[in-house]
Amino acid sequence: MLIIVLLKGVPARTTQVAQVGGVLNREAMDLVLNPHDSKAIEAADFLKRRIGGKTVALTMGPDMKLIPLMKPLYDAEVMGVDEEYVLSDRKMAGADTWATAYAVSLGVKKLLEMHTAPIDEMAETIKKSGYSDAVKVKAAALYQANLLPNRVYSELPPVRDSIVQRFLEGGITVEQAVGELAKVKESLSRFIIVSGIKTTDGETGSVGPQVAEGVSELLGKVIPHATYVEDFDIDDAATTVVSERKIGRLLQRLEMTLPALLTIATEYRPRESPAALQPETRYNCYKGKILQAKKWTAEDLDADAQKLGLAGSPTIVGTGIEVGKPPVQKLLNQSLVFLKLVPQAEFEGKKYGPFEKGQLATDIPQGLAARFKTDGSVGVFSYDVLAGELFS
Amino acid sequence: MTDEAKDVWVYLQHSKGNLTKDSLEALAAGRRVADKVNQKVVGILLGDGVESLAKQAIQYGADEILYVDSPLFRTYFNLRYIDAIFAMVKERRPYAFLFAANELGKDLAARIAYRAVTGLATDNVQLEVEDYTNPALGSFKDLLVQIRPDFGTRLARIYTPRHRPQMATVRPGNFTPLQPDPKRKGRLEKFEFEDRDYPAKVREVVELPPPELDLSGADVVISLGLGILKDGSGRPRDPREAYRLAEQLRDAIQRTYHLKAVIGASRALVYAEIKDLEGLISKVNQVGQTGTTVSPKLYFALGISGALQHRVGMLRSGKIVAVNTDPNAPIFKIAHYPIVDDLYEVLPKLIETVGGAGHGS
Repeated sequence: MLIIVLLKGVPARTTQVAQVGGVLNREAMDLVLNPHDSKAIEAADFLKRRIGGKTVALTMGPDMKLIPLMKPLYDAEVMGVDEEYVLSDRKMAGADTWATAYAVSLGVKKLLEMHTAPIDEMAETIKKSGYSDAVKVKAAALYQANLLPNRVYSELPPVRDSIVQRFLEGGITVEQAVGELAKVKESLSRFIIVSGIKTTDGETGSVGPQVAEGVSELLGKVIPHATYVEDFDIDDAATTVVSERKIGRLLQRLEMTLPALLTIATEYRPRESPAALQPETRYNCYKGKILQAKKWTAEDLDADAQKLGLAGSPTIVGTGIEVGKPPVQKLLNQSLVFLKLVPQAEFEGKKYGPFEKGQLATDIPQGLAARFKTDGSVGVFSYDVLAGELFS
Repeated sequence: MTDEAKDVWVYLQHSKGNLTKDSLEALAAGRRVADKVNQKVVGILLGDGVESLAKQAIQYGADEILYVDSPLFRTYFNLRYIDAIFAMVKERRPYAFLFAANELGKDLAARIAYRAVTGLATDNVQLEVEDYTNPALGSFKDLLVQIRPDFGTRLARIYTPRHRPQMATVRPGNFTPLQPDPKRKGRLEKFEFEDRDYPAKVREVVELPPPELDLSGADVVISLGLGILKDGSGRPRDPREAYRLAEQLRDAIQRTYHLKAVIGASRALVYAEIKDLEGLISKVNQVGQTGTTVSPKLYFALGISGALQHRVGMLRSGKIVAVNTDPNAPIFKIAHYPIVDDLYEVLPKLIETVGGAGHGS
């Protein structure tokens, strides 16, 4: 089981935001892991303990910033992630959600191929070389590279009866071995992607569902998604996920056949799962962790540069707007205001008004103001006047 | 560049035979945009038995309704809904397409935008139409300006110049539904949807109890911030005192003026998880970008400095009263009634004034 966790580095402080033409310059800022992503890591950890497999973190952004940021994740949440991949390329910079989802979808596809290709290689080697050392050499190399699940080959005690071992000991035929490998490959195609509900910088929540769509297009099959997942479980065969999510005042229980994508809500608490891996889940696991994050460029992804970064983004960020015009402000116990409607008044040959009730009594000559104060038309903006205005 | 894409589409959510408030707001937003570009508002309706909803939508500002009416659409299932709506978009290619920025609207809009290869601006608080020139891309006439909270200290303008439809989700609480006009006439058009097999299904839908606190439906919101931890002279105060005062003000307003008043809170206060406020203040009280957007007739910001994330969640309130000891607090930029004073002094006076107002007149 391939468990892919989507992560993002976001600006650490709102006070230190470097922008270039409306686009965040992540290279010039301190980044932290998007706080919402911790729920995705918890969900991935739950999945690994429940059914085994490999947890892979996938992120996009400047690798120099992100690799140190992701280092602690190898130890995160009990098990931590097993491998980390960073999509990093100047061509990917300035991406909106569409162009981000495009690149991340390509990353997911590459991860999938990276894990299914070794299974094909093993099947080919077995067909070609039969009961020979070449099979063991090939298997050991792929195993050491963390690319074969224990079910196929393992050098550790818990899995003594891997496909390769049984084949080499003469327990199964070439056809049986190839058949079993095909099943492993099929199970790898039932991967799962988890992400946070949104990021604290963009706050869109769009990338998750858009990656589900992007991967669907790349693989030519529908990948279902569920957003705002507060609870979910997976069946023992690792084929179906049932998620619970709130949509307005409705709670929806959605059943999805894998592969699928979930965005994990803040309310999520992992279900009970064994603290240690059970023997049967170990079959789905790999050798261990690769503690060095790997960088993939646009070329590695075989990406269409026209669909990446700023060039591939349908949206453009324009100039900003300051929030809220300053209203006409009245100061409590200070401002002079009209306490009632005052018709037009004459003062020293000039006409003033009319004045609305509540209007500020500024911009009128002092003598006129004094007259208004004496006759009670104007007064201090008191609590009583305030309450009268607030609830009129 | 002239725009061949026509019409402003609005996705209409409904519940128990009525269009939702969020959708009526999105419809008002759509009407505003359509009038600026002299185009029609087309309501997009999916459901089982939607005719009366279509009539409602026309009364509330739609010119046309494009609908799918089938038992397949009795419950919300994202993949099928996305397929149906995308089929409509592909066939007609509207100028703009608006959704309410709630769980359902965002769930649909994101995936549809990706499939349609177009931009999506989420959580818009305002929509305008402007000509737009970009040195690299050229000039565009009558472009939708999508205005949403930015990560920085301002609102951002988002454009989708080259792709259609220009897709946007509209943040609830920022547009006022239009007055229904029973005389308005409009055209209804049925859209045929071809179903297919999906690798997912809705197992169950359960209705949740109504929210403990209806922030968005209140006439008056009295919000507390971290400022309640100290009084004017900087001495620590028991925050429960401020909460009790806010309760007294709330009750006085309800009694005297028969308005629905509730207690809100800033994100800072909610996240501070203050022991003394346990059971009194929680996430349900939170006003702001990550909480609830409110637009009551009257808003009290008590001890709230007013970070942008808070302001965008309440700036459309009718009247804003802000009480803060710091004269430079950003909340004062948008307050109609700035009170630079100790809230522990101001609140009792307000309560007395409001409570007394009922007796005199």
